[in-house]
This record gives sequence, C-alpha cells and structure tokens, in this order.
Amino acid sequence: MNPISRREFVTLTAAGVLAAPGVFHSRSAYAQASLTAQQIVDRIRQRAGVEWKTATVDAFKAGDPATAVKGIATTAMATMDVLKEAVKAGANLVITCEPTFYSRADSPSPGGARRGGPAGPDAVFTAKNEFIERNGLVVWRFSDHWRLRTPDPLSVGLADALGWARFKAADDPRLITAPVIALDSLASDIKQKLNIGGGIRIVGDPRSRIQKIGLLPGTTAIQAALSLFPKVDAIVGGEVREWESVELARDKVTAGENKSLILIGRVVSENPGMNAAAQWLKTVVPELPTTWIPVTDPYWRPA
Amino acid sequence: MRRALTAGDIVSRIKANLGIPWRDTTYRDTFKFGSADTEVRGIATTVFCSFDVVRRAAEAGCNLIVPHEDTYWNDRDDVTVVSGDPLYKTKVDFMTKNNIVVFRIHDHMHSQRPDFLYVGSARALGLDSKYETAPQSHRFVIPETTLGALAADFQKRLGAKAIRVAGNPNAKVSRIQLGVGYATPAVNNPDVDVVVSGELQENDGGFDSPEYVLDAVSLGINKGWIMLGHAVSEEEGMLEMAQWIKAFTPEVPVQLVRAGEPFWVPKI
Repeated sequence: MNPISRREFVTLTAAGVLAAPGVFHSRSAYAQASLTAQQIVDRIRQRAGVEWKTATVDAFKAGDPATAVKGIATTAMATMDVLKEAVKAGANLVITCEPTFYSRADSPSPGGARRGGPAGPDAVFTAKNEFIERNGLVVWRFSDHWRLRTPDPLSVGLADALGWARFKAADDPRLITAPVIALDSLASDIKQKLNIGGGIRIVGDPRSRIQKIGLLPGTTAIQAALSLFPKVDAIVGGEVREWESVELARDKVTAGENKSLILIGRVVSENPGMNAAAQWLKTVVPELPTTWIPVTDPYWRPA
Repeated sequence: MRRALTAGDIVSRIKANLGIPWRDTTYRDTFKFGSADTEVRGIATTVFCSFDVVRRAAEAGCNLIVPHEDTYWNDRDDVTVVSGDPLYKTKVDFMTKNNIVVFRIHDHMHSQRPDFLYVGSARALGLDSKYETAPQSHRFVIPETTLGALAADFQKRLGAKAIRVAGNPNAKVSRIQLGVGYATPAVNNPDVDVVVSGELQENDGGFDSPEYVLDAVSLGINKGWIMLGHAVSEEEGMLEMAQWIKAFTPEVPVQLVRAGEPFWVPKI
C-alpha cells in the first residue's frame, strides 16, 4: 500500500481520484471518506437557519478540518472522558457546546490562561492534546449559533429530558405548565431525571406548590430571572451569578412570593440541548452516524 | 447636647481607619440607600443586604447596614435594572419606614490589609495561620489528607448544605489555595492541589477549573475544587469587619447579621 497521509487521502478522495465506481451509492458504507470536518461544518452553517456571526466562539478548537469524518459525537463539554467515549463510539468529529481547553479563549496551550501559576508545560493540556492527535480527533465548538435557533433547542432539550415535552407553551419552550408538585419533590425528580450528583442547589420553600416552571439553561444574568419570574412559580436554571438571581429569589421568598430557583449547573443544563443537536445533525449529515455523549455532573457533595 | 452620630460620621471613620487612601472612583463602596445625615442607633455588617437581613437588622435596632455585596441584585446596584419588579418597591419601602441606611464596603475591604474576607474564611475553615506559606499568600500547606475528608471537614465546620466539590474524593491533598467570593483562583497552578472559594462561572471564562479538574481526574492527577457558595465564603469575614468597626465606634452597638446560606439540596 502506498504511504499516503490522511490529508492527502482526503484531498484525493474529495477529487474522486480514489473513488471506485458506485462507492458513494452504498448506504451502508458509513466509513467511506467522503466528508471532511470542514465540509460538515459548512453544511451546518448552511442549515443552521441563523445568520453566521463574525465574532463567535463557534470554530475549530483542535485537529485538522480536512480530516475525513467517520462519525460525529455531540456533547455539552469535550472533557477527556467524553473524548474517550467518542473514540470508543467510532466518532472522530466532536461537536462541543463548551470550551475544550478550559477557557473562552480555548487555546490548546496554557499560555495566558494560567493565572497565578508559573509558565511551562501543563500535564493536563499536554495529555489532552496528545490524545486528540493520537486518535485523529477534530473538535469544533457549536454554542453561539445553536442557541440562536428558534425555538431555543437548549430549552426544548431540557424540557424533553424532564418529561415536559407536552407541557411546553406553544410559543415559548422555556415556559412549562405541569401538574402541581411540591418544590422538594420537583427538585428530587429533576435530580434523578438528569442524573445530577452534587451540583443541584435550591432556593425556596420546600413545601411551596409549583405548577408553572421557567427554563434558563446555560448561564444567565439577572435580567433573565427578572423577566421570567413574573410568569412562573419556579425557575430551573443552569448557572446564575449568586449576587444576582440567587439573592433575587431569596428576597422573593422573604417577601412571601411563591417563587423558587432550582440551579442544576451550567454543563448539566446543556446536556439535553446537545442531545437535541445530535438528533438535528442526523438530518443534516445523514451519511454519518451521530452520537450524543452526556457529561457527568462535575460536582459531588461531602458525605 | 451631644451631636448625634450619623451614618456619614461612621463612614468617615471607616475611611480614616482603613490604612489605605479612599478611592472615590469605586461604584461599589457608596451609599445604596438612605441619607448620610441619618442618626445611627446600631450597625449591622453582613455579606448580602438581603431583605431578610434588613428585617432582622431593623429588629435588632440596627439602622446602618454595611454589606459586602449588592442590595438590588446587580453588582452596580443599578436600580433601573430592577425597579420594574414590585419587590424593589417592597424592599425600599421597608427600608424607608425603618429609617435604614445602607453603605456597601467591597473594594476597600479587599484592598485593606489584612483582607478580612480571607481572615474570616480561613478562621471558619480551620486553616490556621501556621499553615499559611507566607502572610497574605492565602496558600496553606496542611498535613496530608484526602479531598473527600477535607471537604467533609469544611462542611462540618461551616454547617453548610450546598458545598460543591469536583475531583477524586480519594486524591491525596495538602496544598490549598484559598479564594473568597468570586475572587477564585485557577486550579492549574502546579503548586496547588485544591482551590477553596465561593463561586466562579463554570465555563467559558478566564480559566475553567471544573473542566480542568475533571480532566485531571481522568489522567490520575490530584486536583480538587471546593465551592462553598458566595455567601458562605464571605460571611465570616463580615464578623471581623464588625469587630473592626466596633473598635472605633464605641457609641453604638455593632454586630454581624448573618445572611446565611441561600441554598438547600434535595434529600434524595
């Protein structure tokens, strides 16, 4: 066999040089090198239905965009464990909602992101880069534009994962009207359904009756809670600033309002939305298998 | 007749006793409610000027509240952000009726030496100064323990319900970097095993420590991340602040009014 590099192989295949007659008609030939990561991203951009921003985090974070893709994995966050799962599942394009290299800058070397520590190699960065390289992975971030879609796929995904698909308001998937439940039972239900460890925290009277629920997946500022609270009894959110929405909820409870806040963690709240991304990608890239890989709740509580 | 002690007088004494020049450019350390001319009967320090804290301060006869954090649910205490919510009027009406004055002290507390927020948190966590590697370094080297045992010890000492920990519970740790509130150090400093602090955004920030810890665990590298919650992390230091104000304000009672932990967690 001629020693040709992956990149050359992709180029040759794209040009049809290596393509045997009929190979592209085979529906079972998932593994055929017909689509590169770049081509898949181009297709996502075309099909996203939102205007592509010039300033965006949605970009390649690791690997060669010319890599031939064998399978796609979506995830809320491309952790080492998620990357290992992706390899096991035969996926080499990982589409992540959150950063890969531990900062918004997402630089694959510690560089300026290393606050207060000495400069130099970092074993975690090094090992992650090596794993990506060794397994021929490509990582692309899909956050800004996925959230822009209507209806908001993160809220739709979260509502579906919580069993509230039929309780969503027709015009706003963030608004749920469910059978009345006590706050403490609701919190336990959510914890179990989303497989949350120590990352769930609640503000509110455990006995308060909840019927109307608002969803704020991801990270949100005070304005979001202020606008949603008048419409709901409880907000189920990913992450908020504690001096903002947490204290607002606490003051509402003090004032006798029937309001509660259930925080489930940013990444945990984005897990179902990236499952929704996997389902959508199956329609965008039907030639390739797409898998969703959930991130485990990063947090536990002391015994 | 002796002139009444006003909120303005007390703030002047705070500025005079800080040991550092006052910076008028701060938007945080200002009067958030009430008049500097108000006569003060008692002083309450607190981490958060929550509605509950305001009510309990008033009950305790304190009408000057000195919080570390915001009053109107946003850092700038910009009331235009929140005034559309009826709760804003409810809170303000209560403060008016009870002759309350609120003066926030945040930036200058963190510039003051020592920074009482670190002093209070270290005291409450049992991080004795004999373990601190250098004064004001907030870095402690303690006898080796496990991340699980350390977190359990902190939880017991604080009586907190919603402490969140990332990392392998069995990881051997001894080098602790203490942060307070949102001033939370990154966990990737090779000289640090565990970061203990109040709060930080999980992802997409300057350094995303929870993800780094998950990956470190996956690689068998000992790293830990203990988030106490913002209020729990900075509440204790407001006791030091109360004692400090008391030392130069003998005319009126000064006390800490605890905001307490806002959270609870599901039983199952």
